[in-house]
Amino acid sequence: VLELYTSEPNTFFLKPLIALAEKRAAFTTKYFDAASLEQFADGFLSDLESSLQLEREGPLLVHDGIVISSSFFMLEYISDALPGASLTPAEPYDAYRARAWGQYLGAQLGSIVPVLGAAKYLQPHLAALDPALVDRRIAAIEPIERRSGWMAVRDGTLSTPYLKAAADRLGAPIARVETALSGGSWLAGPAFSIADIDAYPMLRVLPDLAPAAVNAQSTPRICEYIERIAARDSVREALKAARTDRPERQFVPGLEASRWG
Amino acid sequence: MSVILYHWEPNANSGKPMLTLAEKGVAYESQYLDLLQFDQHKPAYLAINPDGTIPALVHGSRVLTESTPMMEYIDDAFKGPPLKPTGPEARWRMRWWMRFFDSYFAPSLSMIGWSIFVGPAVRLRPEEDLRAAIDRIPLESRRIAWRKAMFNEFSPEEIAESKRRVLFATKALEQHLSRFTWIAGDTYTLGDINGFNLGYALPLSQPDHCNETKTPHIMEWLRRIYERPAARETWAKGRTQMSARIKILERAP
Repeated sequence: VLELYTSEPNTFFLKPLIALAEKRAAFTTKYFDAASLEQFADGFLSDLESSLQLEREGPLLVHDGIVISSSFFMLEYISDALPGASLTPAEPYDAYRARAWGQYLGAQLGSIVPVLGAAKYLQPHLAALDPALVDRRIAAIEPIERRSGWMAVRDGTLSTPYLKAAADRLGAPIARVETALSGGSWLAGPAFSIADIDAYPMLRVLPDLAPAAVNAQSTPRICEYIERIAARDSVREALKAARTDRPERQFVPGLEASRWG
Repeated sequence: MSVILYHWEPNANSGKPMLTLAEKGVAYESQYLDLLQFDQHKPAYLAINPDGTIPALVHGSRVLTESTPMMEYIDDAFKGPPLKPTGPEARWRMRWWMRFFDSYFAPSLSMIGWSIFVGPAVRLRPEEDLRAAIDRIPLESRRIAWRKAMFNEFSPEEIAESKRRVLFATKALEQHLSRFTWIAGDTYTLGDINGFNLGYALPLSQPDHCNETKTPHIMEWLRRIYERPAARETWAKGRTQMSARIKILERAP
């Protein structure tokens, strides 16, 4: 039995939907509204790994009772465990590159994109909810790092300088991706892989959230890359999980930035 | 194809590929870089890894610089005993915990380590030398880290938060090892190699939180790894008091 707990197909949540569609896997969708904190309702699925995962919010894949969390490793799991062509590069050095992208972009884009999206779309969404419900759900969040991400959005403490600094931090990872794409269509070797499935859901929202950093003039290869992936059947299939008209506007707080400064 | 590893002490990120290569039985050329002399920011090394981070593995014409994916590469590319579990669930668990070690546990533990070991060790030198050393660091994030360590700019709040996280993560690891023999499950894997490099000195650095009474499973797990020939061989390459801390894991006669 394969069940995917997912919210709107955007950022972390879009990744496994694409991988499952690439695999043509049969699965059941368990939909929840992450932006309305439904994952903190009593009785929602949780275990040690899913509660401590560093992305904090994200999809959960339940395969014969095993709960898989953390989106990049979920992609590796889908590639590994389900029938169909592997989505992990076969050549060891290409597999290394895919995992190195997963680690690097996971930390960089995973901590920047959600903050920019939360300031623009999640903050007004939370403000429109019943304050008593929001407070009750947030108060129940463990561990404290996960709770503080939500509190910053609720309390509007994502200041303009903080958001500016986050947008500035996009420079290095965006330049790395743009440069890497000069060597080929995909991030890790000759074929579309888990590295691309991991990067695409974070990159596709940046022309909206950070138009100064990602646009047709300064990052033409990234813009073409986004279009190339958007045209895949698996991505069209994945986006059918949406229950709103604008899934690209649903955000959750994401990873915390490095505590080293 | 030649195998060259640029590394510092068998500790943290450098120790991960060192122990992995030893477990696989892969002979390699060791290039020791002294972190405290900033060898990793000198031109000769920046020509290999422009980011100036260690370790780096050079296999033929390939250069690898991310230590955890590097361990998977070593297991994938070389003969020798497999260091990844065979089932996808156990492989997922191994990777999940390696990320928890790398991105949650290690940054907090290393902040404490840098404030009490690395900082004081380099602060013996003239301030202008240190400022010049900072200017040679390629990555902004590493410049910030070095500045904090050299001039002891860690705030009491930051250190207190790091201590809280180390205690929290230690408890989570103890809970995990009370359910599983090894990080991934039934077999010794890269997850254990990663965790050992992070945690071998915890009983010494965190004696109130990591000991026979509070974390018996962690203690036994660390000793089982320490008794492996590959671990003995790897830590014998250490040159400083830091890696000598491993002696804490000797069993009482």
